[in-house]
Amino acid sequence: MSGAVAIVRGLEDAGVTLAASVPDTWIGKIMAAVRASAKVRAVDVAREEEAVAVACGANLAGGRGAVLIQNAGLLNCGGILAGLVELYRLPCFFIVSLRGDHRDPVYYHAPKGRVTEATLQAWRLPHALADGKGDLAAQVKRGVEFSVESRGPFVLLVSGEDLA
Amino acid sequence: MIPRKPFLDALVTALTPQDVLVSCLGANARWLPHMTVPAPVFALCDSMGAAIPLALGIALTRPERHVVALEGDGSLLMSPNVLATVAAACPSNLTCVLWLNGHYESSGGQMLPGAPVDWGALARASGIGHVATVAEPAALAAALAAARKAAGPALLILPIAFDPAEEIPPYSERPEDITARFRL
Repeated sequence: MSGAVAIVRGLEDAGVTLAASVPDTWIGKIMAAVRASAKVRAVDVAREEEAVAVACGANLAGGRGAVLIQNAGLLNCGGILAGLVELYRLPCFFIVSLRGDHRDPVYYHAPKGRVTEATLQAWRLPHALADGKGDLAAQVKRGVEFSVESRGPFVLLVSGEDLA
Repeated sequence: MIPRKPFLDALVTALTPQDVLVSCLGANARWLPHMTVPAPVFALCDSMGAAIPLALGIALTRPERHVVALEGDGSLLMSPNVLATVAAACPSNLTCVLWLNGHYESSGGQMLPGAPVDWGALARASGIGHVATVAEPAALAAALAAARKAAGPALLILPIAFDPAEEIPPYSERPEDITARFRL
């Protein structure tokens, strides 16, 4: 099983019903697996802030939403994280591709890689780095459950290596 | 041009308990707690542009409910991309209601950028199949009824008068209380 498929297995195991996404190369691999899922609906959105609101709407309506975006998109989401997710105490689980760290050979992602984890800390967003050598499905399921139980966000950062 | 409140009164009257109402921040969100709304309400006090995608998530999750999203022209100007997102998802149980007054009313009445945006044309070009302009409150119930019957998502455009003297009540509900009360 590829890492992308394992991640989707984790979403399914956690009862996620909807995955809202703006893809990049890595997230696109996960979304391809989402589209093959009978349990998780793929929702293509134009902006990352929309993905957050769509996922929150699913949660409010009795489903479980997840947000799948690149770290560039997460950096767009400060306003809606503060003004919707935090303010209204809504669960919101994110899978975010961590572009620009030492494992990412694409030079133009590097500035995003330098600020992503520092931004997560500054925004006080609970987060974890995925461990591609471990049980990815279990990591995803734990992250979803954390967001539900804490009624707030949780971000799982993934690398391209995790998806192979 | 007619002010906001008669339109909001007409809209609320046209709702049923099977509907769901999502409001953007601003005057509508501040009026709604003071009105008898037959449907569950989720009203924002921040996050411009979030009402329609939030309503989309609800609509996709609960296809048996009709979801009505209230959005202002200032908010939609900030995120018109959501029209394409809604068109792509194509829920037939979502009606977006766009309130046009050309002002950022909740932040002091500043004017929007002075471009003559044709919202109906923009929505149609984005793939929204059912678009109608409602010029008077008396026509709103029929317009909403037609929107409910549309094969896909609908947009109702309400040109309203900007009234800087409108006595809009302050926000009166805490966000986490709104979340706790919202049940479908």
